Amino acid sequence: MTVGLNAIILVSGLLFAIGMLGVLLRKNTLVIYMSLELMLNAVNLALVAFSRYNGTMDGNLFVFFIITVAAAEVAVGLAIIVALYRKRQSVMVDNLNAMSR
Amino acid sequence: MTATQSLLFVLLAPLCSAAVIALFLRRFGKLASYVSVATAGLIFVAALNALHAAGGETIHDSWLWLSFGDFHVSMGVFLDDVSATMLLMVTFVGFLIHVFSLGYMADDSSPARYFGGLSIFMFSMLGIVLADNLIMIFVFWELVGFSSYMLIGHYMSKPAAAAAQKKAFIVNRIGDLGFVVGIAYAYWHLGTTDLEAMGNIIGADSSLISAGIAALLMCGFIGKSAQFPLHVWLPDAMAGPTPVSALIHAATMVAAGGYFLIRIVYLFPPEVLSIITWLGVFGAVYAGFCAYARKDIKQILAYSTLSQLGYIGAAFGLGYPGIALFHLITHAFFKALLFLGAGSVIRGCHHEQNIFKMGGLWKKMPITAFTFLIGILALCGVYGLSGYFSKDAILIAAGFENAPVSYLLTFGALLTAGYMGRLFWVVFLGKPNSEAASHAKESPITMVVPLIVLAVLSVVGGWLGYWPDVIGGSIRADKAELHHLAGYDAMHNKIVILGTLAWVIGLVASFFFYGRGAKEDRLEKMAAPVYGFLKNRLWFDEIYDFYVAKIQQRVAVAFSFIDNFIIKGVLVRGSAGVVAVVGMCSRSLHVGGIHTYVYWFLGGMILLWALGAGLIG
Repeated sequence: MTVGLNAIILVSGLLFAIGMLGVLLRKNTLVIYMSLELMLNAVNLALVAFSRYNGTMDGNLFVFFIITVAAAEVAVGLAIIVALYRKRQSVMVDNLNAMSR
Repeated sequence: MTATQSLLFVLLAPLCSAAVIALFLRRFGKLASYVSVATAGLIFVAALNALHAAGGETIHDSWLWLSFGDFHVSMGVFLDDVSATMLLMVTFVGFLIHVFSLGYMADDSSPARYFGGLSIFMFSMLGIVLADNLIMIFVFWELVGFSSYMLIGHYMSKPAAAAAQKKAFIVNRIGDLGFVVGIAYAYWHLGTTDLEAMGNIIGADSSLISAGIAALLMCGFIGKSAQFPLHVWLPDAMAGPTPVSALIHAATMVAAGGYFLIRIVYLFPPEVLSIITWLGVFGAVYAGFCAYARKDIKQILAYSTLSQLGYIGAAFGLGYPGIALFHLITHAFFKALLFLGAGSVIRGCHHEQNIFKMGGLWKKMPITAFTFLIGILALCGVYGLSGYFSKDAILIAAGFENAPVSYLLTFGALLTAGYMGRLFWVVFLGKPNSEAASHAKESPITMVVPLIVLAVLSVVGGWLGYWPDVIGGSIRADKAELHHLAGYDAMHNKIVILGTLAWVIGLVASFFFYGRGAKEDRLEKMAAPVYGFLKNRLWFDEIYDFYVAKIQQRVAVAFSFIDNFIIKGVLVRGSAGVVAVVGMCSRSLHVGGIHTYVYWFLGGMILLWALGAGLIG
């Protein structure tokens, strides 16, 4: 059984929306971070789906780049969050508003 | 020593003296005064030595001072017949006034400042006398202005002195503006400012004479020599110590303007000369009238100085610079004598300066009174005294060149005799009119000796035949030129008769009108409106005050508005304001919550998308 393009794009859109809402609404930096990753993966899914639908490799190629960059970004981002926690004893965004004070 | 070395010594010794006094002797007034007086004596000897070494030759040496590309400024000494005459007069009269100051300033609170000032003045004045180019003259010209400023304000606790020193300095700036522009113009036009070189250039091609240059340089003369219309500073300058008035505001500095003209006489076309003549004639008569409504002995002498400076200007304008120099020299002798005599009187009367509170001083101060009388007679041009020879020559020259000038100047001589007679009869004859005058005593020897020497010079100073050969050549040349004019004898007789009549009438009339040792001014009592009119001096001070307060001030307010409102308010503050508003707006975007930034990010994305899709822009 093959799943149609529309269904995959719908899943991808849902994943992106969940990630977006997570970034906008959640207070924990780690959760926001995971939501960001979710949005990246939603985009990956869409790219792979289009690639398959069109029968070209362009989308797949992009996905590899995105996964690589995302891996590097996760390493840096998590390091920043750890450093932040050490300094502030908190990763809640409400407490991370030093620039407005 | 060679002549050049002597001249450099003459120039630099007073500077050294001033520096030593300023640096080391501020608290040692007595020592400072001796240093200054000794220097003044030494420079007179050195000046004699220089004249002897030069032996009548012209000395001209100059050294490069500044260089900007092709433009070179040099400093140098230029000793010719005219500067030799002036040099001898300035050093000798200067020395006598230094000696007089020893007595006059004996109980002053800050003699070091005073004598330091005198030394710096001598340096500046000798710089003008010896300078070989216009730029050097200008430098020293400003230095005499500075030393005049410093010495007028010697009694710095008196507000009148502080105001007078400022007035003298500021009024002189007006003339100096013309002077400095004139120097630039002369350099542009003639390619040099060297006195000798300019003379040669003009001599070779007289079409290079420019009325513009001459008129601009004349402005410097008008300011420094207190000619009409910049004469207002000189009477006020009498707020300084009396020897300063004698040295700077009678004998040397104010005469420097005339000397400067004589140095550059070849630059003057006839039109500018006639302006100078008429300014001089107006000044001579105008100041003569003003003197009648003054009660301060020094103010009367100040107006007399203005009047005599008018004669010097008129003589120059008539085309006889030698005779102008002659009157400058004889005037320096008798006017220095009169001012020093006035100083002696003022000191004798415990700093009383009102002539109607003096009286009867002939018996109390016989030497002062007698020398003062000689000074007055010389000033009035009594036959055989120095003033007679120079004033007579001016009147004869005027008689040939311009008859109205001659009559006006003779009338000026009548006025002179009248106000000087008033001064003499009221101060020295009759009975003392105040406590101070009744206790007056003859002054100490340091003050009396200069008076006697100057009195002798006021008598013999005009006997050209006895002058040394190395000085006065241009005076003799101009005199000889007059002698050779057709009808000289007739003119001479006429002038002698008119001149003698003028002083006899002036002295006799003032004797009978004012009376001996008068307590009050009879003119003021009998004809108050006339006296009031004269006292107001044609309202020049008021007109200048009005101009400054009502016109110049308004213009300044307008400019201040432009500066404050448009430049400062709109341009400077305005641009700062724009930046501040932008800053305030962008600061308000900066709330510190990560979620808000995400919304901004989202908004930015939408904006970019809208731009890319062509929905906006």
